[in-house]
Parts: sequence; structure tokens; C-alpha cells
Amino acid sequence: MDTYSVIPIRFTLNGDKVSIEAGAHETALTVIRERLSLKGTKEGCGMGECGACTILVDGKSVNACLMAAPQLEGRTVMTVEGLGREGKLHPLQEAFLEHHGVQCGFCTPGLLMSAQSLILETPRPTHKQVVEAISGNLCRCTGYQQIVDAIQYGADKTGGEE
Amino acid sequence: MLLPKFEYHEPKTVQEACRIVGELGEKAKVLSGGTDLLVNMKKKLIQPEHVVSLSKIEDLKGIFRENGQVKIGACATAGEIAGSEVIKDTLADVAEAASVLGSPLIRNLATIAGNMTSARPAADLPPSLMAYGAKAKLVKASGERSVDLNDFFTGVGKTVMTPDEILTEIAVEIPQEPYGDHYIKLGVRQALEISLVNVAALILLDGPEGPIKEARIVLGSVAPTPIRALSAETVLAGQVPSDVLFERAGEAAANDSKPIDDFRGSAEYRRDMVGVLTKRALKTALDRATSR
Repeated sequence: MDTYSVIPIRFTLNGDKVSIEAGAHETALTVIRERLSLKGTKEGCGMGECGACTILVDGKSVNACLMAAPQLEGRTVMTVEGLGREGKLHPLQEAFLEHHGVQCGFCTPGLLMSAQSLILETPRPTHKQVVEAISGNLCRCTGYQQIVDAIQYGADKTGGEE
Repeated sequence: MLLPKFEYHEPKTVQEACRIVGELGEKAKVLSGGTDLLVNMKKKLIQPEHVVSLSKIEDLKGIFRENGQVKIGACATAGEIAGSEVIKDTLADVAEAASVLGSPLIRNLATIAGNMTSARPAADLPPSLMAYGAKAKLVKASGERSVDLNDFFTGVGKTVMTPDEILTEIAVEIPQEPYGDHYIKLGVRQALEISLVNVAALILLDGPEGPIKEARIVLGSVAPTPIRALSAETVLAGQVPSDVLFERAGEAAANDSKPIDDFRGSAEYRRDMVGVLTKRALKTALDRATSR
């Protein structure tokens, strides 16, 4: 570490300004999960294949494991912790519960963020648009059908509000 | 999963970036989207001492049309290209290719410059860009050059670029003639797939109802680099389009391909699919050319 420089990074995380120093070899995922202790963002494969680490950067869903930490500088980031409020779940989260979109739960935060990214752009997505939007997120339990149902139902309940 | 340690550079201008890569040479790798670079670094396939990020250079962003050309900045993401009205209007198959690259999560990070400089044989963006004769602008501290993508790739992961150069832009001349294009990716899955075969076709017509003036067919995943199916192009040039003609072009393209057997599919299957997909791509390209 000693000979490598540490880089100051400022960004907005779930509405709060964050200022942190990180090594360039850290990823957005390790900064969020290990340094800032937001454990909703998971590491699955670490290679961009599974989507367990999905976060929104400037409203777009990305793999946090494939971003170098300094790439967060100046960006607006949302993790699953920013989706609901204490004591009040986001309509998408409620829909996942009601439609049995959660089994083991490991993929759930990533899927919620992909779903949120979709409905920010397309408030009333079709079945096909939902399937495409979550095509970078692996779930090994549900078989996806319940998740797709949940997202469509949650989008209807969100009704275009954010 | 940890990245190996490296020194990070974040130039604000192309000039500054060129100076840095000029000084560091082989010791530095350029980071645009990172979806290939960071994976390769995590797998310890490469361990650069320095990483030079392009993300703070505003000049490398954006997609615009000017003077009969479409210019795509190095840091335009696959997602931006797929959604760009300029690209959909002028280079429909480039938008198609961008929309099937990786997954939505990858498309929001991966850039056109990365997809070119990684030089993977199955990469989605090169075939349709090569069909249009797109040019890569390569800049270094002492000057710049423009290289036709047809001369850009030299092998698996290899290009004509030198370590002191940065790819800043892809420029595409919009054809004057009535034209149509199509890109088809064949994989075994719908997402996060590395193609078994990909085919881009471009047809230029001699007048709205005319015969084919020129056709270009580019095949991916069937050779160390994307390749032009030159004998198929010869079959098509100057001819009146028909299903029989496209069938013959497909056969010629299959003969032009040099696929390998691997765990994704056999060479025989890939060669057969080159024929089928070339024919299909030509049909759609013709429909688009005649309705333009």
C-alpha cells in the first residue's frame, strides 16, 4: 500500500454526501460494502456476471465490482439501502414480498436496483422489458417468474413516482 | 475479489492523457469502461503498474452527426449507443449490436473504445462498424492518425495501436446511396453471452429500386479477428437481389469463415450458421435499404 497513492473521493450516496480516501485498487463495491458498511450490496462473482453488486450510478444500473473506486468521484450513487425508508418499504420491495420474489435473498438487492433503474426510465414496463432489464442478475432459487411478476406489480404500485 | 495494486491517473484532457501514456509506455493500461480491464486484472492476467482513466475527459463523451459523418466519442457506453437516436437513424445495426452486448449492467459501463481495444474475436461492436468502414482516431503526444477498422485488428487481443496512443473517437461516413444494414448475434443464451457467430451485413443500392451496388459482410467469432467475407461480397456486387442470390452469398461467406471447435460450439456448426445468418442479415438489410 505504502508506495501507492490514496485518492480522495467525494460522491453522493443515498442522498448523503460522502467523502472518503481509497486506494485506486479498491472497487466501488469494496468502498460501499467494506468501508461504508452498507451490506446490502453483495459480492457474488466479482466479474460482472451475476449482478449481486448492482447499484445505481447517476440513475443507471451498473456492476459495482467492475468500477474502480475513483470512478465514483462526483457521481450520485444509490444502493438498496436508499430504496425504502426506515419502517417503510419501497413499493418494489413490498411487491417482492407479496409475489414471493425472494427465497434465499442473496440476489434480491441487485434485482431491486435493476428494477428501480428500469422503472426510472420506463414507469410501466412490459414483461419483455422487465426480463431484459434483469438479464444481468442471476437468481438460483426462484426461476425468475415470481421476480418478473413482482417487478411489474411494483411498477404499477409505484405509478411513476420515485 | 481484489484488484492488484496500481498507480491511478486521471487526466482531464486528451493531451495530458497522451503525455502520461507516452511516458509510461507498456507500464500503463488505459481504463475507459473497465468491464474487460478490471476483470483481466482481477484474474491476474495483466498487472499494470499504472492505470490511466479516461473518465474525466469531457471531449471523449457524446455521439453526434456532422458533415455526413457520425462521430462516437471513445467513452460513449454501449447503453448510450443502443439508445442514441442518431445511431438508430443512421447506423441501425450498430445500435442493434450495442443493445446485445453483455447485460444492461455491463452496457452502462462498457465503452466503444474498450470494445475496440480489447480486440476480442467475438466482440459485438466491430463487425457492423467494419461494414461501414468506420475509422478509429488514434492520438499520441506527437500527432494523430486515422485507421480503418478493417486494418485495426491484428489478432486475438491485438491491434495496430502502440502503447503511446489513445483511441479518442470512432467516425463513420454515412453512405450516400440508399443503404440498409443488419446485425445478428448467435449465442446459446439471451444475455451475458459470448457469440458463437456474429454477422453484420450492409447493402448499398444503385438507386432506390436498383441492383446491389456494393455489399459488405463482416463475420465475428469465426477467426482470430472479425473478418470480411470478401467472396460473398463479390457474389453480391452488381447483382439484382433475390433469395437465391442471398443463399449463394451465404454459402460463400461460410467458405470464407475459419472457425474453430471449442466448448461453445463446433467449427462445423459455426460454419453452417455463418451461411444461415448471412442470408438472414442480407434479407433484413435489403428491406431496410428499400424502405429508406
